[in-house]
Amino acid sequence: MNSSSLHLNLLKPTERRSSSPIRLRVMLPICAILVCAGLLCWWGMLFTNLMMAKTQASGIEEDLANKGKQHAEIIKLRDEARELKLQLEQLDYYKAGVRSVAEPLAKFAEIVPMRVQIKEMSFSPLPAQILQPPGAKAPLFGPTENVETQKLVIAGLTTKETPVVSLMESLSSGFEKLVTSERKIKSFRQDNAEAEGRKLLSFEVEYTMPERRFAK
Amino acid sequence: MNGGVFDNMAPTAKRSFIVTIVLFAIAVVIYLFCLQPCEADLERTRRSLSELQDKQSRMNADLRNAGTVKKDLEDLNAALKVYQDAMLVPLLESYAMRAKTLLDPLILGAGLQDVQYNNDTFRALPLPNPIPRQLHTRAAIKVTATGSYQQAISFLLRLEKEFPLVSLRQLGIVSQSSPEHQALTFVLEWPAKGGLTRK
Repeated sequence: MNSSSLHLNLLKPTERRSSSPIRLRVMLPICAILVCAGLLCWWGMLFTNLMMAKTQASGIEEDLANKGKQHAEIIKLRDEARELKLQLEQLDYYKAGVRSVAEPLAKFAEIVPMRVQIKEMSFSPLPAQILQPPGAKAPLFGPTENVETQKLVIAGLTTKETPVVSLMESLSSGFEKLVTSERKIKSFRQDNAEAEGRKLLSFEVEYTMPERRFAK
Repeated sequence: MNGGVFDNMAPTAKRSFIVTIVLFAIAVVIYLFCLQPCEADLERTRRSLSELQDKQSRMNADLRNAGTVKKDLEDLNAALKVYQDAMLVPLLESYAMRAKTLLDPLILGAGLQDVQYNNDTFRALPLPNPIPRQLHTRAAIKVTATGSYQQAISFLLRLEKEFPLVSLRQLGIVSQSSPEHQALTFVLEWPAKGGLTRK
């Protein structure tokens, strides 16, 4: 004989309970509380960090304020040093371009041959500096070319060509501060002047002088 | 969730649901009005702290180097002293008159005569590019005199010895009737303060 069991559910839907040991109606508020607590903890941590950072910042600010005057003096000294360095640098450029020719000129008097009379000795003028190039809005601080060259012109009278050649040969060594080996005979002709009953010869030699280089 | 489900919920479940909703709302409020502003503030404070720390470390480094800076300054001043003494400073606005006061003893010592001092063209000091500022110029004084070649050389030798930073820019020796009275022209160049074009 078959036996049958009858399952009778007399509970209303609102009275039903889950068979799970974890009940949602309990877990949801707990989760929400945990979330709130977690957020509050996080806030607390952030706030603590913020306070620590602010304290540290105010400590540093105080330290900076205390050292400010001393530091400003150092900065001033450093700026002054930078300015002086710039001055020194520019004056070093000037110094590099200083020409010293007194000694070779003194020596020159010793090498002039007997039969040569120097009538003129001169350095050629320097070309004008162009500090306001065409189209430029403002003048330049200075020239961009840092080398200057000039010529030494020696003009005189002689009786024949050999003393002039001898003078040029003498100038070819020991006069490096005054002249380079680059030279040009600008003129060599008969002059109206006379000596010992014969017409003299005039000559003009142009030497390129050593460069004045304004550089370190 | 529709109203039917909520109506069918047990009163305890309903209570639980409402409490959960309220708690989540509180969590949102905490996040929006406490956490976020605090985080932003902390971020700002950290940034400013980092800047302050950088500034402090730079300042400390500068203060540690104070001795070196002072030493550098002393060395630079000593090096510049030589130049500053050699600088041509105008006398009552006149460079030529300053040159006269400096050169007269040398001219006298060399025995040159009929001496005249005049300003010549000042030139800018060539400097490498880019030029930050022109601090000095090349002041030029034209000295004309009469005398022998030996006297001229004697003057130049004295000049180079006394004023090592003076440069002979131009020279002109033209013979006259007497070798003792040649026409002499010297254009002498000094360093002087100030740029030529822009200050």
